[in-house]
Amino acid sequence: MSPPFRFPFRSRSRIASEVDEELASHLAMTAARLRDEGWSAPDADAEARRRFGDLEYTRAYCRSEDFRREKEKSRMIVFEELRHDVLYALRGLRASPAFTLIALATLAFGIGANTAIFSVVRGVLLAPLPFSTPDRIVRVWESNKTLGITQGTFSEPDFLDLRAESRLAESIGGYFFADGLTGVDLTHGGPPERLSAALVAPGFFETLRPQPLLGRTIAADEHTPGRNHVAVIGYGLWKGRFAGDTRIVGQTITLNGDPFTVVGVMPQEFAYPAAQTLDVWIPLSYFGPDAIGRDRAAHFLSVIARLQPGVTPARFETELSGITKRLSDSYAENSGWNNANVASIRDSIVGEVRGPLLVLVAAVALVLLITCVNIASLLLARATARQRELAVRAALGAGRGRIIRQLLTESMTVALCGGVLGAVLGYVAVRALVASGGVQLPRGGNLHVDGAVLACTFLVALVSGLLFGAMPAIRAAGPALEHKLRTSTRGSVGAGAPAQRLRGVLVICQVALAVVLVAGASLATKSFARLLSVDPGFRPEHVLVAKISIPDAFADTLRGPVYYESVLDAIRAIPGVEAAGSIRDLPTRGVGEMRRAAQLGLPVGEGDADASVQLQHVSTDFFKAIGAKLVGGRDFQLTDRTGAPLVLIVNAALAKRYWPGESAVGKVLHSGKTDIQIIGVVGDIHQRGPGEPAEPTLYISALQNMRAGMSIVVRTKGDPLQLASAVRNAIWSVNRDQPIAELTTMESVLGTSVARQKLLAWLLGIFGLLGLLLGALGIYGLLSFAVTQRKQEIGVRSALGAPASSVMRMILGHGMALACGGVIIGTIAAALLTRQLQTQLYGITSGDPGTYVEVIVVLLATALIASWSPARRALAIDPVTAMRQE
Amino acid sequence: MPRQALGLLQGTVDVLILKTLSWKPLHGYGISEFIRQQTSGDLSVEDAALYQALHRLERKGLVDSEWGVSDSNRRARIYSITPDGRKQLRSEVVELRRYMSALFRVLEPA
Repeated sequence: MSPPFRFPFRSRSRIASEVDEELASHLAMTAARLRDEGWSAPDADAEARRRFGDLEYTRAYCRSEDFRREKEKSRMIVFEELRHDVLYALRGLRASPAFTLIALATLAFGIGANTAIFSVVRGVLLAPLPFSTPDRIVRVWESNKTLGITQGTFSEPDFLDLRAESRLAESIGGYFFADGLTGVDLTHGGPPERLSAALVAPGFFETLRPQPLLGRTIAADEHTPGRNHVAVIGYGLWKGRFAGDTRIVGQTITLNGDPFTVVGVMPQEFAYPAAQTLDVWIPLSYFGPDAIGRDRAAHFLSVIARLQPGVTPARFETELSGITKRLSDSYAENSGWNNANVASIRDSIVGEVRGPLLVLVAAVALVLLITCVNIASLLLARATARQRELAVRAALGAGRGRIIRQLLTESMTVALCGGVLGAVLGYVAVRALVASGGVQLPRGGNLHVDGAVLACTFLVALVSGLLFGAMPAIRAAGPALEHKLRTSTRGSVGAGAPAQRLRGVLVICQVALAVVLVAGASLATKSFARLLSVDPGFRPEHVLVAKISIPDAFADTLRGPVYYESVLDAIRAIPGVEAAGSIRDLPTRGVGEMRRAAQLGLPVGEGDADASVQLQHVSTDFFKAIGAKLVGGRDFQLTDRTGAPLVLIVNAALAKRYWPGESAVGKVLHSGKTDIQIIGVVGDIHQRGPGEPAEPTLYISALQNMRAGMSIVVRTKGDPLQLASAVRNAIWSVNRDQPIAELTTMESVLGTSVARQKLLAWLLGIFGLLGLLLGALGIYGLLSFAVTQRKQEIGVRSALGAPASSVMRMILGHGMALACGGVIIGTIAAALLTRQLQTQLYGITSGDPGTYVEVIVVLLATALIASWSPARRALAIDPVTAMRQE
Repeated sequence: MPRQALGLLQGTVDVLILKTLSWKPLHGYGISEFIRQQTSGDLSVEDAALYQALHRLERKGLVDSEWGVSDSNRRARIYSITPDGRKQLRSEVVELRRYMSALFRVLEPA
């Protein structure tokens, strides 16, 4: 049987009694015939039963056959109805392409955004860390209140003391790693290559206990000189440079000119302490004290620890604070470093991005919610328009549940189609994000759309469908359905009034959600604009940068400066180069070396004994090349080299701090037995990034104090990238084997430093715009519909002499009333919700009143525009035509 | 006592029921009577086997049933053949004919 007629399904007991009745009826007929043939009544009954055969077995058999049939039939009918409903839904959707298009497009976007953000959250925040029992691993920092440092690194002697004294940790490990700074040169039958490297101290692998993909990690006894030429390599390097050769373990590779034995390969997900990928882990002890300072003043070691079972981080923090306190009391170099901070390793890895990610999660959820509200409102309108169709179906015998089921099937069809499109969009978005380097997200190498993400997408689509489908369906199939067939077919003033009221509530919700989204977007974009508008202290346009490290063979005091200058001279000789110079650390890429102000002979105040300053090694012409302003004195010259009197240039922040109100040029610092003269003052360069203030900094001529690391800065006349290969060749003309770690523009270096804020601003901007659009659509849709429904009323009003302005006022007033309601609710919600955004904002507070005024104005203006066209349409109604339609 | 009725070959009950119902809808007792009368009592279907077959055929969708009233004004379950049942009947008849003629080619060679 096919719909619309349907047998009520028979229950198990009903089936049983029907079988009984049928068999009894047969026996009775047989007995009647036997009586006709002359049998006595009792004998006839007995004979009928005898002739029947096995009655009980037959009874059981028939019941079970009937029950099976009943089950199959009901399954078939449900399936048949579903197929029917889906076909019907598809037909209905094809018949109203505008609705379908808007619903699908907005859903696809909403669900796609959710899919993409969820895969990021899953990969970054939720996926298990690639360590064994990560809950027991913590990150440890040393802090110094006087210097204002809460998350400081340790010196090696301090680290060794921690290891010796702590009783609560199972193991304590250390490493030295700085993105783009710590590295080694690989020469392995091909061009030399700069590898990113983590230099690991004892305890590193014992604390994390990662599972190597091949081989093993560095053993406890392999940190001693003589045995420390061992390396663990990363997945990317293994796959790329060594073609995934499983025989790599045990082979020898050449790092920094020395032979290293590869002892293991790490799996793809293990890149600690790097954010995404790391090439190699080697023992820190390979670098002697001349390369990395090992006294108590040299803070460079990051420390991690594995706690004993049952030990809380807080207890461990108390123990460590005790140890650091003792150390700071015992050693002059440790003064001020009297406290320790402990945080779970998960927080230390992803804590920084958790905030922005959760903001995005909230934003995409809001977008989807507003999308659902929009579709629900559209569905309500459709249902109102389809009242008669539904009433006919009800009159033909479709029950209330049946009609709800049909309407729900329709919205589920929309939701699932939207879900499929959304999954595709989300996949594309995640691929794009990965291709862009994951915007430096920690664990960004782990991002992909997998089964769990797709399951979540499916669930989101399902819930969305229920969310926007249930209410309109239940309303449309309301008890008054039969009544509607009898009421006037068209134009009755009250028709659909409750539905319209409901739509009004939905529009208010939409506007409120839009206010929250627009406020968030506005705050994020303003913050980003302010970040960009900060003067970084130099001019990043037309600047090419290259990062090299002078090979050890050339890095001694005699040959180093020659090498250093020849590289720069070779670049300066390129046509189109205006100036070229070099600095140890580029802006946003490090802050040089930290020195104690008092040791350098700077005039420190009483309570300022521990103050430190930054020291950067620069070449001649560096300030000219990067475009920093020399505000007094002179730049370094080639004569400021080894043997000549030591000279320094200071930045404005340092000059202002130590010689406020007077010129720093000409001052002489007495550092131990050495006298150093300050020859110039340069404008502040925001070394830590545009959002951070400039710190007191000293610049020293690299020709007087060599450093192997060179970040070459080249100011060009035209497009800097056009000179990239010329610069590369110039460097190689000095030394064909010189590895070049990086060759890019200063603008892109700066760009990556604010990439995360940029992405956040962009995404929130898009979501905000979409929210605004959907809000406007909601108001427009509602008013258009209302005008059509109230055509006659408006016609009558006009005919009775109501002026055009009053009709216009009525429609606009309706729209604006809804908008105002939404704006009030939305503003309150936004004020509460955007507080979560505060930590992501630069130069603006989340409660910025100006922003809120703008958002409210924008929302109300949008509402007015959306109401305008329906109001105009109401004016154009000809009273005669409208009334004749009656 | 009339002549001893013949026992039925496996599977022929279904064909007989379908054939009977192809004339007109009937209740179980009616089907049994009809077969007896048509074969002058040579074939008789045991009642138990008949009802088991009817419910099996209904489960397979070859017959349908609804409650009605018998000639003797009794409430009875009336069976009718479905289009699928007619199709089944045609192919069963062809099969039976093939089977019988093969059998008789052995028993009574020409």
